[in-house]
This record gives sequence, C-alpha cells and structure tokens, in this order.
Amino acid sequence: MKRVVVDPVTRIEGHLRIEIMVDEETGRVKDAVSCGTMWRGIELIVRNRDPRDVWAFTQRICGVCTSIHALASLRAVEDALGITIPKNANYIRNIMYGSLQVHDHVVHFYHLHALDWVSPVEALKADPVQTAALANVILEKYGVLNEFMPDFLGRRAYPKKFPKATPGYFREFQKKIKKLVESGQLGIFAAHWWDHPDYQMLPPEVHLLAVAHYLNMLDVQRELFIPQVIFGGKNPHPHYIVGGVNCSISMDDMNAPVNMERLAVVEDSIYTQVESTDLFYIPDILAIADIYLNKHNWFYGGGLSKKRVIGYGDYPDEPYTGITNGDYHKKLLWRSNGVVEDFYKGVDKAKFYNLEGKDFADPEQIQEFVAHSWYKYPDENKGLHPWDGITEPNYTGPKEGTKTHWKYLDEEGKYSWIKAPRWRGRPCEVGPLARYIIVYTKVKQGHIKPTWVEELIVNQIDTVSKLLGLPPEKWLPTTVGRTIARALEAQMAAHANLYWMKKLYDNLRAGDLSVANMEKWDPSTWPKEAKGIGLTEAPRGSLGHWVIIKDGKVDNYQCVVPTTWNGSPKDPQGQHGAFEECMMDTVVKVPEKPLEVLRGIHSFDPCLACSTHLYNEKGEEIANVRVQGACI
Amino acid sequence: METFWEVFKRHGVSRRDFIKFATTITGLMGLAPSMVPQVVKAMETKPRVPVIWIHGLECTCCSESFIRSATPLASDVVLTMISLEYDDTLSAAAGEAIEKHREKIMKEYWGNYILAVEGNPPLGEDGMYCIIGGRPFVEILKESAEGAKAIIAWGSCASWGCVQAAKPNPTNAVSIDKVITDKPIIKVPGCPPIAEVMTGVIMYMVLFDRIPPLDSQGRPKMFYGNRIHDTCYRRSFFNAGQFVEQFDDEGAKKGWCLYKVGCRGPTTYNSCGNLRWYNGLSYPIQSGHGCIGCAENNFWDNGPFYERIGGIPVPGIESKADKVGAVAAAAAAGGAILHGIATKVRKSANKEEE
Repeated sequence: MKRVVVDPVTRIEGHLRIEIMVDEETGRVKDAVSCGTMWRGIELIVRNRDPRDVWAFTQRICGVCTSIHALASLRAVEDALGITIPKNANYIRNIMYGSLQVHDHVVHFYHLHALDWVSPVEALKADPVQTAALANVILEKYGVLNEFMPDFLGRRAYPKKFPKATPGYFREFQKKIKKLVESGQLGIFAAHWWDHPDYQMLPPEVHLLAVAHYLNMLDVQRELFIPQVIFGGKNPHPHYIVGGVNCSISMDDMNAPVNMERLAVVEDSIYTQVESTDLFYIPDILAIADIYLNKHNWFYGGGLSKKRVIGYGDYPDEPYTGITNGDYHKKLLWRSNGVVEDFYKGVDKAKFYNLEGKDFADPEQIQEFVAHSWYKYPDENKGLHPWDGITEPNYTGPKEGTKTHWKYLDEEGKYSWIKAPRWRGRPCEVGPLARYIIVYTKVKQGHIKPTWVEELIVNQIDTVSKLLGLPPEKWLPTTVGRTIARALEAQMAAHANLYWMKKLYDNLRAGDLSVANMEKWDPSTWPKEAKGIGLTEAPRGSLGHWVIIKDGKVDNYQCVVPTTWNGSPKDPQGQHGAFEECMMDTVVKVPEKPLEVLRGIHSFDPCLACSTHLYNEKGEEIANVRVQGACI
Repeated sequence: METFWEVFKRHGVSRRDFIKFATTITGLMGLAPSMVPQVVKAMETKPRVPVIWIHGLECTCCSESFIRSATPLASDVVLTMISLEYDDTLSAAAGEAIEKHREKIMKEYWGNYILAVEGNPPLGEDGMYCIIGGRPFVEILKESAEGAKAIIAWGSCASWGCVQAAKPNPTNAVSIDKVITDKPIIKVPGCPPIAEVMTGVIMYMVLFDRIPPLDSQGRPKMFYGNRIHDTCYRRSFFNAGQFVEQFDDEGAKKGWCLYKVGCRGPTTYNSCGNLRWYNGLSYPIQSGHGCIGCAENNFWDNGPFYERIGGIPVPGIESKADKVGAVAAAAAAGGAILHGIATKVRKSANKEEE
C-alpha cells in the first residue's frame, strides 16, 4: 500500500490537499482523504451589518462563481423581509445567473479541467489536416444536440463564433506550442506529468483540437460575462440591490443604465454564449467522452453520485412571494429540488424524495457534523441543523509531521477545515450531475409534468445516451458523466438566456419598466425580528444561505455551500463525502502520479474558498479563536 | 529568453506592424508619443519575465479579472509577454511537482522574477488557516519574496486586507506589506482590480524593466491618480444638484448622480471613471449602483454602503466639489487614510518630477 499526497491541488478555486492510499498491485484507491486547507470567517464578519449590504460581503466568498453568493444572500434577505421583486428584476437576475453558469462551466472545462484529458505535448504529434477533418466530423455528429435547442429570439443571421476548422488554423497553434516547448519557458504548462500513459488514450488530433480551443476560449470567455457588466457594472463581482436590480431602464435616455443599445449588447453576448456551448464545448467534450467510455472502458469516479444526489431547484419563471412559504418551488422552471438514490440501478429503480420550502427550515433534514473536522461539538456523534450549529475551532494538526509542517493527515481523527453536511444523516453529491439526475428521474418517473427546461434536459440526456450507445445509468454517474452534465447544463443555460431576454422584451413592450421594489427599503418598515432562507443552484451545486435579522441588523448568518457537501470529510458513521468516494472509485496507473484521481477531483470543479468559512453565533472577540456558531 | 521583437519576428510580424503595436502600447500606458522609441527599444531587448503568482486567503476574483483583459488578451499575456511559471489557478501541474518547479524557477531566476500575490496571509493559529503543501501560506510568501525583483500585491486582499480582514478579522489576516517589509510592493487594489489595470501594470514592468511610478500609498499613479468622482460621467449632475433620491426613481432612469443613495466615488481612487471595465463598456455607477469604494483601505468597515457620506455640502459647485473629497475622506476613513492629504502629497510629488 502506498500513500500519495497531492498538495496543492491546482486548477481549482482555493486550497485543497488530497491523500490517497493506493494498492500498488491493482492500482485501486483503498482510502482517500480530502482536506480543505483554508478558512476565512465571512459569516462572522457579516454579523451586525446592514442586511442590504450583505450580498456584497458574501459575494466575496468566491470570485470564480462570482454573483452566486450575492444572489443567495438577496434571496435570503428578501425571504426574511417578505419582498417580491419586479418581473424585470427577476428576468435580469436570471440572465446574470445564466451567464455565470455558461461562463463558469466553459472556463472550468477548458482552463481548469482540459489538461487532465489532453496534453500540449501530444498535440505536437497531430496532423493539422486530420485535425481539421476531425473538427468537422464532431461538429456534424454532435450537432444533433443543437437541432432541438430553442432560439426564442431568432435574431442571429449566422453564427459569429464558429470553430475555424481549417488545417492552417491548427498548424498555427501547433507552431506556437512547438516554439513554447523549444524556448524552455513552458509557463502554465510547466512541470506536469505529461509522460503519464493516460495521455496516450486519445489520438493526437483530439489533443491539438482541444489545446487550440483552450487558447481560443481563454480569449472568448470574457465576452460570456458581458450581461453582468451591463446590468451590474463590472465583473467579477457585479452589483445588485435588495428588492431587485440597480440598472434602471429607460427608452428615452442614453444616460439610463439600460436602454436599447445596452440590451443589444446583452443580446449579442447571449448569442456568443450559445455558440460557445453549441459549437465548441459540447462537441469537444463528447468527442473525448466517447473515446474514454467506449474505447477504453473508463467508467471510473462515479462514487457517491451512484448512491445519492441532492438538489434545491432554480430559475423562477416569474417573481415569487417567498422561499420558506413554498412559493419559490411552485414558480420554478428547473425543479432539480429533491434527493435521488441508487440512480446507477436505472432510472426506474432509483428512489426519489421531495425537498421544498419548509424542509429547509426542518432541523432533521440538513445537518452538519464535525467528527473529522477541526471544530469541537459537545457531542461529536450528533449533527446539528445550521440554525443550531456550534463552531469552536479545534485545530489538531497532522498524524505525522508538526503542527505547521505536515507529512500525513490523521484520517482516523480530524483532518479538514470543511464540515460534513448530511441529509437525514446521509452524504449526498451536489452539482450539475446531481441536478441532471434529479430532473431526469422526476420526469421519467412521472413526479412532475415537465416545463420546457426540464423537457430539454431529458432530451439532452436521451440524445447523448443514443450517441454514446449507453444507457444513462451507465455513463452519467462517472467522472466523464459529471463533465458531460456540466456541458449540457451550460448549453441549456445559454439557450434559457434567450428565453429570459424574450420575456424581458415582452414585458418592456407591455409598458412595465420597473426593476426594483423599494417598499421595504427603509429598515423602519421591517419587523423587529425576521428569518429567511435563500436558495440557488450554484455552478458547483446547491447553495443555501440562512439569515436572521434583528433590529435592522444581521443577527445570524450562514451558508451551506456546494463544495462543503462534495469536499466534506467523513462523518461519525465513517461515511465519506463525494470527493473521497470518487477517488475510491478510481484506479490509478502510476501511483506517484495519480492523474486519474486529479481528473476525478477536477470533475467536481472544487471551490474551496466557498466551502470553508466560519459563523459566530455569539460574536465573541475572535482573537482567541473560541467561537460559537455553525461552520460551513 | 526571447525578446518581444524576437517573438514577433517568429510570428512573422513585420517591422512596420511591430512599430505600430509599440505605438499603440505607448498610448495605452498613458505615455507621450515621444516615448515610442524607448518602448520600441525595450521591446527589442527585454526577454519574457518569469512570474510566480501565489494565492493566500482570497476568492480568486483577481485571477478571474486578469483573464477578462481585452487589451492585451489573456492568451497574449500568458504566452508571449510573461512566462507564468507558477499559478494555483492556471498551472497544469499540481502537488510536489509544481512546488518543486517554483523552487527551481526561484533558483534559476534569482533576483529576476516577478512575484505576484493574490490574497493575504492569516497570522492566527501559526498561519494554519491557509495551508499550501502542508505549510503555512505565510512561509511560502516570505520564501518566494526573497529572490523576487519586484512584488505585485493584486487586489484589495494583498494590498489592504479586504473582506477576511474586516471586523472582527477572525483569522488575523493582514496585507502583505505587514509581512514583507524590505522590498518595494506595487499595490494594485480593487475587489477585483480592473482587468486592463492589471495587465497594464504587467506590461509596464515588462517593457521598462522597472516598477511604475507609485503614489504615497504604493499604487501606480497612472491608474490610481484620480478619484472616481472626478472622472465620473455623472459628475455634471452632481454639480447641477440633480440626484437619484431612491433606486429606480425618475432620476435613476435619467442617469443622475448616485451620491445620495450611497456612493464612494468622492473618496475612491481608481480608474473606473476613465478607463471603465471591459475596455470601457461600463462601471458600477453606469449600471446605476453607487461605488462601494472597493479599491480603498478598510472599505468594508466604512459602511453601510447605502448611506451617503456625511459632511458634504450638496448640491455643490465645482469649487466646492474639490473640498468634498478632502472632507469626505476624513469623515469616512476614520483616520486610516486621508485622501485630501494624499492628494496634496501626490500633487507635490508630481511637481518635483516635472
């Protein structure tokens, strides 16, 4: 048995360490440890502040999934104060949210994940003529997915961002890479395990295609976020206000934040989103996936997704009156709320449990444990609902090494700054894969009559199953499936943005220009005490913020975040979180270079700044790190 | 290492186009046309500079902003201007391989690499609130700074402390100049900084092989020399006394001044008003939201954001507006920074140079 450490795990947000125990004979990962190695304390910092300011603070939880913690915070405060936002604000927030989904997923695949599959070194061996031919083949083959993608506006004369599938184009990229390698200054490509045998699994032409698109998309990605820059003034970290959005609309004034010209800029960007997903992202990932699954039988990394996934739901079609009161879940176009168990047995045998409004306030549903986290509970065998949580940091150091210089972590004791959230005491995976499994199961088992978004999702899954020649329960709950689901979700979000844009135009035509409900802006209109929950589906998975407002200030605030679910350490029952389960469902070829494990971890798109922070319930001075509250 | 001109030649770029590019760059950096020959010379002789980019407690918004740069585009910066040898976010390699590579680059280019720091070190719990390779980040920071020829503090975290250092600062997070005291640090504040400000600072350093002229607080003058209030396209509405009284009112639809609903433009030094975000596309005030002052020290603790800054006579006229800056800064900064004074210092420094 060999113990291998990867620290830092790069190409993620934040700081993560993994340790694996590998059986050298079989390459099986027998045990795995995921350790969040940073901790900041944002929930504590927002205490006693003006609830209308909190979105800006929580937005800084993460600059990669920028805007999502702002959205969750706005929803929580609005739920607490009983604020319904105007229609235009709902559509604009959905466009800003959808733009995040597209951007985050595209950047994740090309810039954080692609180099687990493809190598610039292998790209040098490719024939540019063959690469161009391959690009055309995959555009034709996987273009069938685009055929049922709706265009609600129909205003693009032709695709402006079309892959330049010519030999000359690929030759230029190849030359560039060659010079880079020859210069000896490899920059971002330096020092990686390029000699790993997995880089031989794809033909050189796929490597060249993907590396070319890596660079191409590095320059295109900025354009995907233009809607946030128009509506929120900047990106990363655009602006919002409680009660709606700040970008007032006028068709009479060029000085207005939003006018005809500004809407045209947004519309153009949305079509760029559509083209980037339809014509680049989807064909590229499916070309790689087909070879991994069908040629190499590489079905590793499903882990927890086979057993249990959880989701909260998103995309309110129209404004809702509250989340805790159940109205949010009645208005959703994308009802990924619920839990699905045993999807790997087939969609008809999977078990579905509903989850909506009131369940998020129920102390028995979602709890957090600290048996293996650097915090102290009075009884560490028990979990605590976020409202009742306690956070008392209790850093115990590693098993081997010193307090500040680790060798190996203590997997039997405490080993992470991340807590362990559980649903009814069980670990769950969150993310695009979870959402796709949940919607597919709900529709196929007849729990819901599908909306157009849900019908689209089912169509995507059925079409990919046909293209791959595999049933969904076989390809979806895998590392490859996690990566495909994310691409499908980006494609759906890009097309949904056309839908929101159409709804915005229709509403403006009807004469409604309002973007903010200011009735309850003044704190004197608020109740003495109010509680609220803000839910959303962040790019990396389900996100919840819980707030208590007292006397016009934040009294209590906390977030349960996607990477806390996925990256969690073990609970008192010894049940592993999704990262650890994924690693233990993977076989490595070269134990000291566990590329397969890295690929599995990256397939979750880890976000560590999100997963590790601290909440203080009593607000003691923190210099002495004795803190009460709930950690997330 | 190759020079820019060599890289361009290799790409088949003509001498004429190369000069054209150098001229554009000169303008972009706010330099006089007479500086073109110096820029050309720099581009002919300077090799690609290795950059080590480390991350402490942060949210990665600085890296995200950096890749949003339109001029130059991210691919051009990363593959032709600098050699980004270590970066948690973009580096292909991980674990021991990337840590060993950092050590190798430091040794090979001792005294010649740029250290870019995103985020900051927490000093609580012996630094173990931020751990890289099983060691406290603060140790990596000190070690990497030692052989650097220059240090860039990206964003408000590295420059001032930012959100994790806001009260009560649970991890005792500090700006990097509290830990590195023997080297000049270029502070590029903002949450995040504007993309083209980040790449502009890099380009300046690469082309001139020196740090850009800094103000009294260590910020590049060319990007932090103006208050947003002074460069804001809504300034004329402030002067005319035309204000948004409440979000989404008639004034909001007409794009009037946001001062009364909370705007830190009068106390914030940044390029949002002149350069704007996304190559001039917009900035927070243009989208109808007041500036929250994200490039300023302690801005999180100078809230709440939707309260107008006190002690400012409104509506003002042009002569009063200058006083506004000084008064407002003194009122808002709580003794931390006095912009009125900073402005004067900056002015006299400029005179000396002239």
